[in-house]
Amino acid sequence: MSDRLGSVDLAEVVAAFGQLLHAAGVPVTPERSGRFASTVTLARPATVDELYWAGRVTLLSGHDEIAVYDRVFDQVFRGVADVADWRGQEPSALAPPPPTGRARPPERGAAAPEHEGRGRVAPRLPRPAAVPPDRERGAAEASDLLAAASAEERLGHVDLAVLTDEELATLRHTMASLRWATPRRVSRRTVRHRRGRPLDLRATLRRARTTGGDPVRRTFRQPTERPRHLVLIADVSGSMEPYARAYLHLLHGAVRAARADAFVFATRLTRLTRTLATSDPDLALRRATASAPDWSGGTRIGAALKTFTDDHGRRGMARGAIVVIVSDGWETGDAGVLGEQMARLARLAHRIVWVNPRSAGAAYQPLVAGMAAALPHVDAFVSGHSVAALDEVVAAIRHAGGGPRR
Amino acid sequence: MAAPGDVTDVDTMQRLLDGADYLSDTGLATALFCAVRLPQPLLLEGEAGVGKTEAAKALATVLDTPLVRLQCYEGIDAGEALYEWNYPRQLLGIRVAEATGREVTEHDLFGPDYLVERPLLHAIRHPGPRPVVLLVDEIDRADDEFEAFLLEMLAEAAVTIPELGTVRAAVPPVVVLTSNRTRDLHDALKRRCLYHWIDYPDLDRAVAVIRRRVPAASATIAEQVAAAVARLRSLDVQKPPGLAEAINWVATLDLLGLDRLDPAAADTTLGSVLKYREDLELARERGSVWVAGGA
Repeated sequence: MSDRLGSVDLAEVVAAFGQLLHAAGVPVTPERSGRFASTVTLARPATVDELYWAGRVTLLSGHDEIAVYDRVFDQVFRGVADVADWRGQEPSALAPPPPTGRARPPERGAAAPEHEGRGRVAPRLPRPAAVPPDRERGAAEASDLLAAASAEERLGHVDLAVLTDEELATLRHTMASLRWATPRRVSRRTVRHRRGRPLDLRATLRRARTTGGDPVRRTFRQPTERPRHLVLIADVSGSMEPYARAYLHLLHGAVRAARADAFVFATRLTRLTRTLATSDPDLALRRATASAPDWSGGTRIGAALKTFTDDHGRRGMARGAIVVIVSDGWETGDAGVLGEQMARLARLAHRIVWVNPRSAGAAYQPLVAGMAAALPHVDAFVSGHSVAALDEVVAAIRHAGGGPRR
Repeated sequence: MAAPGDVTDVDTMQRLLDGADYLSDTGLATALFCAVRLPQPLLLEGEAGVGKTEAAKALATVLDTPLVRLQCYEGIDAGEALYEWNYPRQLLGIRVAEATGREVTEHDLFGPDYLVERPLLHAIRHPGPRPVVLLVDEIDRADDEFEAFLLEMLAEAAVTIPELGTVRAAVPPVVVLTSNRTRDLHDALKRRCLYHWIDYPDLDRAVAVIRRRVPAASATIAEQVAAAVARLRSLDVQKPPGLAEAINWVATLDLLGLDRLDPAAADTTLGSVLKYREDLELARERGSVWVAGGA
């Protein structure tokens, strides 16, 4: 390519810009860079703005990449931002708006300056600092029984909050084997069937060839059924932190096995579906932790649900779906907002399952204002505090009889 | 109005779109320019009512070619998107042949006479000389399997019909896909497409678009409504009103013979912009004086 933009070689500029974008997290392929170069050749942009649009139209593939593109473009072509200007910021100021989150965090991001920035506020998933006293007691008792019970059985009833990372790893197999299934709904898609309503002319005629052109045996079409969509929204705020690691495994399993959509929130909502969709659970979990920057912050359930409904639910993700919310209902914002948002979500979704691991205690009462506000809109309320109790969660999701609350 | 080759640069595209009564910004004009000249399918996303579908229609007007529209929905399949054999007619053909003692072969029955063209095939078989504009509307509503089916068409501008063979486009169509982002599209599909996100227009452009669309409306009312819609968007509404709603609102006011947006008029016609009860309540709480720009 010999076209020149001023005195600079076009191919070089395009390639370098593409690499910068790629390092910042926008997956730019050589194919796209090629399109960018062709567009520059064709349209001969005279202003920086025109160049901006030529690049934006050809290099990106989604709305969530625009913010990153803007930043890199400004840095390269407008000389606005110096690398140092945004190195120390919260990723939230750089990353695209909260609902979608970063589709792809940089994988081999060593070269990406942003990576350093992330490192500073790198979200973590630590073990609770103080091990609850009952855990020590429980562990001591359990050690006596070790000979009899397999590790998995033994751990099955231990509260998820007190499991060590190693124990959690042992249970991964059990969690992966949960049988995810959602109730089915009638689809618009049809299949051939002996009985049914619309006549399948294509198949009937084909069969008619064997009977001399007379359609003796008729074939019909019948609507198929398909599973309802499953959406899991998990609270990873401070109060839920002990359960967060375990539920991330659960989210991973659901995304892989039931093509569910997964979100986490503390102060803001982050979509993890894509991050969790890889087959390697460790890698997926590492990436998930990296892409939810507000891990273990305060809880704003109402605001997070609003973001979910506005950006995803209303567009179709929650319509007729099974929505599972994992949270202790400890709302630091306005509980009234949570009630409103739950009502809104309840009108969209087929069923809402609320999983509250803190509700396992015998004396549990939903006294937390947030939980009380949310409960009227919930179809099933389960604890899911241990691996054994996760069966309840799966059963609540599968539950088809009785229909929704309406 | 113009052959694809005549659209020499982005400015020209913008001017031509203007001539087709579609006011675009540099971004959209660049996107459409690339779609026509590269040529490459263009994926348009944006909130409902920002003019995604209108953009494709305007492009067809600019190129002076037919617009072929495929509205997607769940369960759409090849029979509805590509082609279908006209079975009743085939049956009749057999009967007529029997009655008149004429010979009828399978070759006759599965020939072009009995083929029902659906939008995709129609776009591919367009003889030219100018390309048709193929609008695949709301692709996110179709099943993801359907996207895979679209890929051959997008990449090769060709479709394969078992009985007839591969039909290749004499002039590849200019393809515009729109999506409301109800679900993620496949990477394979996105990879083949240019991408443009249409934002809400700024106030000046909104006024200009409204005046273009409702010529009977006065400048005052267009400005008032554009400002009011921008105000309503700033409220925490569930469905932020777009350009389409603004145009509807002006048309409603015009129909009622109102020449300005005062609080009373705003209150009675609010239903043409806000379509959720909660949103209406929110706006009424804020006060129709505020909506009308009073205070």
